[in-house]
Amino acid sequence: MQFTLFFQQLVNGLAIGSVYAIFALGYTLIFSILGIINFAHGAVFTLGAYFTYTLIGAKFGFNGLLAQSQLPFGLPFPLAVLGGAALAGLVGVIIERLAFRPLRARGADPLLTLVSSLGVAVALVNFIQYLVGAEAYSYPSSAFGGLPPSVNFGTPESPLIVRTVQIIIFVVSMLILVVLTYLINSTRTGKALRAVAEDATTSSLLGINTDRLIWITFFLSGFVGGIAGTLVGLSVTITGPYFGIAFGLKGLAVIVLGGLGSIPGAVLGGLVIGVAESLVPASAIGYKEAVAFAILFVILLVRPQGLLGRTLIQKV
Amino acid sequence: MAEFITTYGFLIVSMVFAAMLALSLYLPLMTGQLSLASPGFYALGGYIAAVMSTKVFPPTPQGEIFPLVYLLIEMLVAAVASALLAVLIGIPALRLRGIYLALATIAFVEVVRVLSLNLEITGKAIGIFGIPQPFLNKFEYMWIAAPMLILSTWFVYRLERSRVGRAFAALREDELAATAMGVNPTYNKVLSFTMGAVLAGVVGAVSAHFLNTWNARQGTFDAAILYLAFVIIGGSRTYLGPVLGGLLLTALPEVLRALAGVEFLPAFVAQFLVDGRLIIYGLLIALATIFFPQGLITPTMLKRLARRGT
Repeated sequence: MQFTLFFQQLVNGLAIGSVYAIFALGYTLIFSILGIINFAHGAVFTLGAYFTYTLIGAKFGFNGLLAQSQLPFGLPFPLAVLGGAALAGLVGVIIERLAFRPLRARGADPLLTLVSSLGVAVALVNFIQYLVGAEAYSYPSSAFGGLPPSVNFGTPESPLIVRTVQIIIFVVSMLILVVLTYLINSTRTGKALRAVAEDATTSSLLGINTDRLIWITFFLSGFVGGIAGTLVGLSVTITGPYFGIAFGLKGLAVIVLGGLGSIPGAVLGGLVIGVAESLVPASAIGYKEAVAFAILFVILLVRPQGLLGRTLIQKV
Repeated sequence: MAEFITTYGFLIVSMVFAAMLALSLYLPLMTGQLSLASPGFYALGGYIAAVMSTKVFPPTPQGEIFPLVYLLIEMLVAAVASALLAVLIGIPALRLRGIYLALATIAFVEVVRVLSLNLEITGKAIGIFGIPQPFLNKFEYMWIAAPMLILSTWFVYRLERSRVGRAFAALREDELAATAMGVNPTYNKVLSFTMGAVLAGVVGAVSAHFLNTWNARQGTFDAAILYLAFVIIGGSRTYLGPVLGGLLLTALPEVLRALAGVEFLPAFVAQFLVDGRLIIYGLLIALATIFFPQGLITPTMLKRLARRGT
C-alpha cells in the first residue's frame, strides 16, 4: 500500500474511531454505574442526528406525520449540534425514568432491564419512522459555513487529501473526550459518580444522592450519543430510523474490547476498531463490517476483561 | 374458515416458528447461559436448505411439488451442521458468563451475517431466490410446523424432568454448588447450547422453504432480541413461557392491525394502530418487563393450576 493511501486510511480510521469512542462512552458511563447495557443507546444516537437536522431548520421528506414541515427558524450548525445533543440527553433521562427506574426500584434481574431498554429502542425507532418516514436525510453542505470540502496536507505533486468532515469529527470527538474526562476526574459530581460506580450502596450511605447521579449519567450518555449521531450523519448521511442499530452493535464491540466500564478503555477500543476497519483492503471491503465483531469474539475468548478492564473476580 | 386461512395462514405458521425459536433460546437459558446465537444457526439452517434445494437436488419438474423427503434430508443436514458448529463455538465461548456470553454470541450472529453477505454460495447481498415449495399453500406448512412444535415442546417438557434437565437447573441456580455436587458445567452447558442450536437450525431449514427466499436479513441481531423478548415476556422459568411468548408476540402486530378495523374507533386511533403498531409493540415489551418481571407464565402458576385440576 502506498504511503499516502495508507495515511489517508489511517486518518479516516482515527476519525471514525473517535466517534466510536464517544458513542461507546455513553454505554460505558451507564455500565459503570448500573452494571447494565442500555440497548436504547443506538436509538438515542439516531435521535440526536434527527434533532440536529430539525434544529438547523431543514425540511422533512414526503412521508410520515411531519412530512414537508420544518421549524420556522434555523439555528447555526454548531448550536444545532449542541441543542440536538441536549435533547438526546433529555430522551436518555426519560428512558431512565420509564424503563430503568421501575425495574431498579424492584431490584429486578439485569436481564429484564436489557429487554425493557430494547423495547424502548424498538418504540423509539418506529416513532421516528412514524414522524418523518424511512428515507435518508443529509445535512445541507452549507453546514460548515465557508470551509472547503477537503484539505490538502501534502504538496500539489503528491496530494494528501483529508475531508474537512473527518477533521471536524476528530476534533469535536477529542474535545468531548477531554471535557468528559475533566468532568469525571476533577469535579465534585464526577467524584461522586466514580464513588457510585465503585459501590452504590456505600456511597448512598455516605450521603451521595444516587438517583440524581443516575439521571446525570443518562443525560451525559444521551448527550454524547446524540453528538456522535450528528457527526456520523455529517460524515455519511442519516440513512433512516435504523441508522443507529449497526452503530449500536459496534459500540458494544468497542466497550468489550476496551474493558466494560473503563473510560480510557472505551477510547482505546474505539480508536483500535476504527483504524482496524479502515485498514481492510479494498478487495475485501465487504468484510469490513465483520472486523469489529471478529475482534470482539477473539478478545472475549482470550482476554474477557478487555484491554484496560479489571480482572473479573468471581465472588462466591 | 377458508378465508381466515388464506388471510392468516402465513401468520399462524410464523407464530409456530417463533415459538420454536424462542425455545431454542430457552434451552441454553436452562443452564443459566444467556446466548443470543439462535439467529446465526437459524440463518445457517436456512442457507443449507436453500443451497441444497436449488443447487444440489434435481430440479422439481413443472407442476409438481418439491418432495418432502428432500426437505427431511435438508433438516437433518441442518441439524448436524448446527450441532457441529455449536460444539465448536460453544466449548470456548461458554466459559463466558452473563452479558459477556450474550455479546460473544451477538458477535457470532453478526459474523455469520457478514459472511453470507459476501460469499458466492449464499448469493451475496441478493440471497437465494425461488426455493421450491413442498406444499401447495403457506398454511399447509402446518403439516410440518405443528408436529415440530409439539415434539420440541414435549422434548423440553420431558427434559426438565430428567437427570440432565435437573443438572441444567442446578447449574442455573448455583454453578459452584452444582459443580461441587458433581455436575460437569462445561459438558452440560455445551449440551444445552447445542440443543438450542439444532432446533434453530432445523427451523431455519423449513423457514427457507416457507419464505421462498433466503438472504442475510434472516437471522440478525434484531431477531436475537426478539426471541429474547419472547422468552422473557412469556416466562423464562418454564418451557411453556417461551412457546406462549413466541405465539403471542408474533401475533401482536397483526392483532393491532385487526383492532384498527373495529367500528366506533375514532379515525386517528385506527390509523395509529396500523401505522404505529410497532411503537405500541415496543412499549408493550417494555411495560411487560416492568409489570410481569417473571413473565406471563411462572412455575408457581403452573403448580397452582395443576393442583386445581386434580
